[in-house]
Parts: sequence; C-alpha cells; structure tokens
Amino acid sequence: MKPGSTLRILLAQGPAPALAAAGAALAWLALAGDSYTIRLATLAGAQALLVLGYQLVFGHAGALSLAQGGLFGLGAYVAALLSLHVPWAMALTLPAAALAAMLVAAMVGVAVLRLQTHYFALATLAVAQLIHLAAVNLETLTGGANGLAGILPVVPRGWPMLLLVWGLFGAAGWMVARVLAGLAGPVLDLAREHPQAAQSLGIDVAALRFSAFVAGAGLAGLAGALHAQVVGVVSPDVADMPVMIGCLIATVIGGRRAVLGAALGAILLTHAPEWFRFLENRHLIAFGLLALAMVIVAPDGLAALVTDARRRLRPPVTPTSAPAPQPPTVARAAAPGTLRLESVGKSFGGVRALDGVSFEVAPAEAVGVIGPNGSGKTTLVNVVTGIIAADAGRISLGSETLRDRAAYAIARLGVSRTFQQAQLVAAAPAEDAVAAAAWRRSPRPSLPAARAEASHWLARLDAGSDAARPCGALPAGRRRLVEVARALMARPHLLVLDEPGAGLSRSERAALARHLRAVCAEGTTLLIIDHDIDFLAACTNRLICLDRGQVVADGPVEAVRRDPRVRLAWFGIDHEEGAA
Amino acid sequence: MTGVLRIEGLSVSYGGALAVDNVALAVPAGRIVALLGANGAGKSSLLQAVVGLVPSTVRQLSLGDTDLAGLSPERRADAGLSYVPEGRRVFPGLTVRENIEVGMDAGAAERGARVAGMLALFPDLADKASERAWRLSGGQQQMLAIARALVRRPRALLLDEPSLGLAPRVAQDVFHRLRAIADDGVAVLLAEQNAARALAIADEAVVLAHGSILLSGAAARLSPDDPVLTGLLAG
Amino acid sequence: MVTAQLLVNALALGAAYALVALGFVLVLNAAGAVNFAQGDMVMLGGVAAVTLSGLLTLAGVRLPGVVLLPLVVVVSGLVGLLVAALGFWPLRDRPPAAMFVATIALAAVFEQSAMAFFGPEPRTAPALWEGAALMIGGVAFGRQPLALILVAGLCVAGVYLLLERTQTGRRFRAVAQDRDMARALGIRAARLVVGAFALGGGLAGLAGALLGHQFFVHAGQGPAYMVKAYIAAAIGGWGSVPGALLGALLIALFETLVSAALSAVWAQALLYLTLLIILLWRPQGLFGEAIGQRA
Repeated sequence: MKPGSTLRILLAQGPAPALAAAGAALAWLALAGDSYTIRLATLAGAQALLVLGYQLVFGHAGALSLAQGGLFGLGAYVAALLSLHVPWAMALTLPAAALAAMLVAAMVGVAVLRLQTHYFALATLAVAQLIHLAAVNLETLTGGANGLAGILPVVPRGWPMLLLVWGLFGAAGWMVARVLAGLAGPVLDLAREHPQAAQSLGIDVAALRFSAFVAGAGLAGLAGALHAQVVGVVSPDVADMPVMIGCLIATVIGGRRAVLGAALGAILLTHAPEWFRFLENRHLIAFGLLALAMVIVAPDGLAALVTDARRRLRPPVTPTSAPAPQPPTVARAAAPGTLRLESVGKSFGGVRALDGVSFEVAPAEAVGVIGPNGSGKTTLVNVVTGIIAADAGRISLGSETLRDRAAYAIARLGVSRTFQQAQLVAAAPAEDAVAAAAWRRSPRPSLPAARAEASHWLARLDAGSDAARPCGALPAGRRRLVEVARALMARPHLLVLDEPGAGLSRSERAALARHLRAVCAEGTTLLIIDHDIDFLAACTNRLICLDRGQVVADGPVEAVRRDPRVRLAWFGIDHEEGAA
Repeated sequence: MTGVLRIEGLSVSYGGALAVDNVALAVPAGRIVALLGANGAGKSSLLQAVVGLVPSTVRQLSLGDTDLAGLSPERRADAGLSYVPEGRRVFPGLTVRENIEVGMDAGAAERGARVAGMLALFPDLADKASERAWRLSGGQQQMLAIARALVRRPRALLLDEPSLGLAPRVAQDVFHRLRAIADDGVAVLLAEQNAARALAIADEAVVLAHGSILLSGAAARLSPDDPVLTGLLAG
Repeated sequence: MVTAQLLVNALALGAAYALVALGFVLVLNAAGAVNFAQGDMVMLGGVAAVTLSGLLTLAGVRLPGVVLLPLVVVVSGLVGLLVAALGFWPLRDRPPAAMFVATIALAAVFEQSAMAFFGPEPRTAPALWEGAALMIGGVAFGRQPLALILVAGLCVAGVYLLLERTQTGRRFRAVAQDRDMARALGIRAARLVVGAFALGGGLAGLAGALLGHQFFVHAGQGPAYMVKAYIAAAIGGWGSVPGALLGALLIALFETLVSAALSAVWAQALLYLTLLIILLWRPQGLFGEAIGQRA
C-alpha cells in the first residue's frame, strides 16, 4: 500500500483510526526507538502540553498572553528544586509544578485580565521577564546562569517517560476536547467573539477568561516540569523569550483551537532542527517564515487543513432528523419589580446622548421607544443593561440598583437583551447560538438538551428551519430573530430589544409582534426600541419618544403618535415652521 | 437621464442579503435630490457605495465626464465627490482647523485662505478653530463635517442624515445652508429620515424601501403629511 | 560631577529609545497594531552599520559615522517596507492580533537571520564622533553620547514637526483616527500607512546604528528594544506621540539612575514592576487623554 493511500484512509476514517495510529507510533517508538529519538519525542510531548495550555488562553479565551513561556520555566524550576531538595516527595513534583504556575497565573490574572489586548500582552510579557530575571539572578536558589543539574525523573527516562508524557497529553487533550464538545464550546466562542452578548446572558466573561488563563498556566507548569525531568538540567533558558515565541509559533502552525493542532505544532517545532538539518543553523528562519505564511494563508493552522481534507474525502453525514424541540424545563426568574429610571444622563465628548431621562416600566408592561436616529435609544438600552455606565441619575429594577452594576450581574437579575447588530458567532449554527443561554442554569443541561430547547424557541419565532444553519449565512433580519430566541431562552423577567424588526419583511414583523405579545402575556416585561410605529403599536401599549437624549413624549401609543413634539422630532413636521 | 452625478443599476449586498437593489438616479448640478426612507431602507449603503467605501456592482456611475465605477474612494474624491457621513465622523484628535484643512490638495497659502472662508461661513466653528473636534457639540461637529466636505469645492456633495441628533433650529440652519450650497452649482444628494425638512429644500425626492426605489418625483409633488409617505417612512 | 555625566548618559539612552518608540507609535497609529519586530529592526540597523563599515573598509574607503548613517537609514527603511509587505498588508482586514502574531514570527526570522549570517558574537558599530572625551566645565563628557543626543534629538524634532505642522502629518493623523473617512476625503491612506512602516524602520535602524557603538550589536538584542518601545507607548498613552517620547526618556532615566544606585538587574526588575503598577493604576497610561468613544 502506498503511503499516500494510508494517509487518505487515516484522514477519512475519523479520530479513532488516527488515535490508533498515534498509539501504534508511540508503542513502536517505545520498543524500537533509539534513546535520542525517544528523548526528542518525549520533549515534543512536553511541548504539546505547553501548546495545549496556550490554546486555552489564546485560542479559546482570546487572550494574547506572553507569559506562557515564563510559566513553563517556573514549572521547570519548581520541579528541579523539589527533586534536589525534597527527594522524598518525588511523586508530588508534577502536581506541585502545575500548582505553582497556576498560583502565579491566578495572582497575575486577577489584575491584568481586564486590560485590553495590547496592554494585556505587555503586562504578561513583563511577568515573564520578571520570572526570567529571577531565574538568572536568584543564584543561591536557582544556580544563576549555570542553572541546576541532577534533576531526577518521576519515572525512568526512556520509554517510561515517553509514555508518561504522551499519556498526560492524551488525558489532558481528551478532557479539553470533552469540555469543548459540550455547552462550553459555543459559550467560549461567544464570550471570545462577542463578550457583550455573553454578558447579556449572565456569563461572567472575566471569570471565564480567568479560568482559561489559570488552566493554561497549569498545563504550562506541568510541561515545564516534564521538560526539566527529561533533560535533567534547568537553566534560565527555559524561562526565556524563545520558549514563548516557539510556543506561539507552534500554536499558530498547528492551529489555535484543535487538540490535534497542539500535537502537530509541538512535534514540528521540536523536530524541525532534526528534519531540516540540511538547512544547518537556518532551520529557525524557515520555521518563522512557515509561521508567517500560516498566519496569512491558513489562520486556523494545520489541524484545520487536516479537518478540511477529511471533510472533502468523507463528507459528514447530515443527520436525517433534527432533535425534537423540547419546551423549557425551568421556570422564569422571580419578578423583581418595576424598572425605574430617574434623571439618567450620559455624554460622549461634547455630545449628550442621554439627558435627564426618567420613566418607569411596570412588571409585565410592554413599552416601545421611538425617536429619530441619534436620539439616544441605543445608549438607553446600553445604560439599562450595563454595557456602558451612566454619568448621572438612578436606574433600578424593583429593589435592586442597576447603575454601576456589571452587565452580567444585571443579566442575572432576569434582564435579557438583543443588539442592533446581532452579536452571533458566524460559524455557529443558530441552535448553538441560542443554546448558549442555558449556561447559567443549574443543573447545567447537556448540549443536546440545550439544543432541543433552542429549537423550541426558534420554532416559536417561526425560525425553526434556521436551527442548523450557521448564523453568518443568515440574512440580517433572521439573525435578529436568532438573538430574540436566545434572549427568550434566558427566561428573562425584563426583555430589552434593540430594533428587533429591522431587516424583516412586513409579514415577518407582524408575526414577531404577535409572538412578543404572547411573551408579554406570560408575564415578561418588554422594552422595545424600533423605528416602525406600526410594529410597536402591534406589540406594545405605551410609547416613549426620545429626541436628542430627552423624553419628549410618554403615553398610550395613539396619543404619542399624535403628539406634535413627536411629529416634529420624528417626521420634521413642525406646524409653526409649516406656516412660515 | 441627465445630471452631474449619474447612478444606474447600483446594487450592494452584505453576505447574500441585498441592501441596495438595482437603484438608478441622477443629481443635476445646482439641484438637491432628497433620498428618503426608513432606517434600514438602504440609504447609507447607497451613499457609501457611491463614495466607494463599500463594494457594489454598478452599470454606470459617473460624475460629469468621469467614470467613477472601479475607482478607489481617493480617486472618486479627486473627481469631485465629497461626503458627509452618518454620525459626522470628524477626526476627533485633530483641531477644527486641521479637520477642515486635511482634505485639501493645495498650497499652504491657498489652504489657509479657504479655511478662513469656511470659518467665515460657519461662525460657530470660528470660535473653536483650535479646539480638538471631539470636544464640540453634536451640532458643531455636523457643521464641521459639512465644512470639511465643502472646502474641497466638490461637484457633488453626498450627505447622510445631517440633521441627526440636532435641535430643530440647528437642523433648519444646516438645511438652509445646503440650499445655498446647491444654488452655487453643487449637485447635492441628501439622505434623510426627516422627510418634511428634506422636502422643504429639495428639488426632487426619491423614496427608498428595502433597497429599491419605491417612488420618485419633484419634491413639491410629495407632501410630508401624505399618509402614504409617512407610512412608508415609518416602516 | 558624576551626576552630570549620568544625566548625559541617560539623555543619550533616552534619545535612542525615543527614536525606537517614535517608530513604534507611528506604525501603531497607521496600522492599528503592534509591530513586534520593531526591536529587531533596531538590531538590523546595528548590523547594517557594522556590515557597511566593514565592507567599505575592505574596499579601502573609510567613511566617518555621520556619512554612514543615511545609508543605514535607507537600508532600515527598506526593512520597514518588508515588514509592511509581509506583516501588515496581507492582514490589513484582520483583527490586530493577527499582525501582532505575524510580526512576532517576522522578529524571529530577523533574529535567526542575523544569527546565521552575522554570527552570534557582539560587535561594535563605528563611532559617530570619534575622539577623546570633551571637557566642559571641568567634567568629561563622551563624544558619542553627545552626538547621539544631537542626532536623535534632531530626528525626533523633525518627525514631530512633520506630524504636527505639515499637511502630510495632518493627513497621517487623520488616517490613524479614521482610515475610511480619510480616504473619502481623497487622502491616499495606503501610501501613508506604508510610509509609516518605512519611517518607523528608518528610525529604528538609526537608533541601532547610534547605540551600536556604546552597547555593541548582537543578534539577540532585538526583544529588549522592542519591550522598551512598547512600554514607552503604553505609559505614554496608547498612540500618543509626545507621550511615547516622554515615556522613552523616563525609561532611560529610570534605568540609568537605578543602575547607578542599585544594579542593572534591579533596574530591569523595577522597570517591569513599575510598568505593572502603572498599567493597573492607570490603564490609559500616565499621560493618556481619554478621547470620547463616540464623537
């Protein structure tokens, strides 16, 4: 059989044969490999654990951390020191190294994870540099530039170590893959790509990022400890920049999210000097250029290329029947009471977006907000839901103060919302986008159960046929419906909708208005922003008109419609002017 | 069809959905064409496509004798197109004077003279000439965006919702100026949600709904009180 | 007078850092993303200075450092264009993290290329102004630091005037703030962005050649310079040119004084700790002016 066709079969048959092949390769290496080959493959396994951890931080949480290399070094030094000074606790070296890295990451993460991309990268770089400086200069502890020698491994070097390292990678990779295959997968994607939408579902995005950062650090510490045990010596090089750069490049080449990518990137990085020996000392140049090319042409890395090839050879079987829609099994949050705004103000530079806005919305009331473009409607939604902080005034829901509360905390009080530009992960099917709303439930449902309920909400909005389609392929109006379904699945007490009808046809809008009426009749309070007064008349009883950040009218729909100030703001029909 | 700015068969699509569908219109020199329609009707997309900031397909797009189709936004601007975007988009960190000056291709002396001309035309801005633009009020920023477009002496001026967020008196002031600008021979295409105000100064009007032209004609024939029109604009 | 000499040294180092930080911020504003290769462009400037002077000496030509500098700037400007072509242009419609990662890869390529073709051992770039120390008021001042302050100061002032006082500079700032709107006003945005990379490269190369006499040139020195520029930009307020220049001077002053009082290691450690404290205390930087999010 030609190697090409073996590859084709491996690609076509899904993960099981691939895993079997990897196991066979490992067994063959362990039995027949020479010590140099085994050592290199073992180091590749440690590198794969490092990259797997970095995938959590960079790929899944979207945090461009430059501390991963430093944490690897930290793990290596902790393992070395334990093995040299506390030899009776050998068994504990690996967990201790992982814990040490997690502890440092937790301390750092609490402080720096709220920084924006470029500041976060710099702060983590500073932390890594401090670890490296400590390794070089705390000579009595670390041996300075000479490092520490005579580190003992937990299992003998050679094939036992090889199997331990790759076994740990297999276990960690299996756990990561399992978690991501559940509800956490769509939730992490949403939190990374649309953090505001995730917050609107009560998801504490910062806590999620923190968990990913700390878990990634644990794998880095473990990888560093294994590296130290394989090599037998540590020097400050294990905490230096090139480790971080190598980890980043391996992640980019292998793929930033797939477990397979971590293994591929790490094997390539570790074996490059061997395989590209003909390039002499220039293999790292080639490797850097390869990484650059991958960033440009294949941003999802080798793993995605493998997956694509597999899909082309054996198209996935489309399920013949979608799971039957399941009605929700949980009750709505307890009614927290009246939404009350008192003299709320918000300015952007010299522009006053909200200027002394006051109104109340009673439980189970449906209120529409109208006003010309730029009158402050979206700012109003953002201020109520905590996406931006008001400059002045009071906002409360029942006895709870909303102003200055985090967006996710407001959402947990039973407030859901949609966005003017639907915030959906383009690649996610609509049912997954909606299913993410179940994340905060206790007990947390499985992904299939959440999907079944998501289908129910989509079907309720006449969007059931979109359930399996990726959100990015839906027209703008349909995307809005997916968002409404997601907000409904969060079982809110107060539902705030920002132009839910825009982009829908007249008949679709009429249907949506009917559905919203029904939602309101079930006891949900509605605050709906839209331009279409007929749509609002069909689903609300009361209108508030904003103009230049102020409430110019508030009352029953027909009264507001006829109000001269509204006609002036809305249609520019000014009777004094008309007479002139 | 005649006109300085000629558009034929223009379509814009975002991810498969048509935002502008096969639109044709012409704006003669010295005339104001009001582009009316509700939010989401496709007004902004149409204007951005003409300016070249969103990709579009078009059968004909020309300004005078210059074919604009396929040109970059920079070259379209050089051909005599000026744009006042929705939300004003003044350069926040540049001063008022710098905002006006930055788009001109002329010697320093000529630039200075033309900036002074604009500041004379917009006295509100003259008081704030050295302020950073982000500190201005919404109305002042709108004036600045218009001054910045006008100082380039365009043959055609495209405005996207210039009355947005302005007090009625300020909006009225802006619209009176637009009439004066058109009377100087500039072709003005004015996208507006505020139908009455736009119709009061426009020569012709085009009503856009769901990306295509629903009706068009002389502005005088369309009454802002017309229930058909208000119904359309609201939905 | 030890303090006067110390201050001159700090100022010289600060002037060189300012050149690097200026290039870093120019590219940051133009491309909206961090150029992680900025430090390795400094290193390549030093390599170019050493190599060019070596080649010219071989050819029997002995040029003073002052004549060599423009050549180095041109070579480094070309390196800047290379970074624009590989690290920015193909990724211009992607999130800023893509350029960040691409320039990290480019930085690795630059470093490894220098390692392979130039060698790992440190070398010295030719002096700008040779000769014995100058005696001013009874205090001895090295000629190189003084020349460095002069050349770097002139270049920084020149670029600053270009940005603040000329139409090109105004256009550059407009492009940095709203690229599409600038294009709609007829401003050639792509040209200005690529120009910023070339200018940033030239400034980095100049810094490399100037520092290469006092501090040696070696292949692995790039990241340290990049970090300094990055810190200067962060504490100066993201994207602010005067902030970054001031930040660069402060870093140099801090390093020089702490090194003199404690040690070079403490200088580095305290610099990173101070940076972390500043980032947590004022995430907008020390001199950042919060421009309204929505005009």
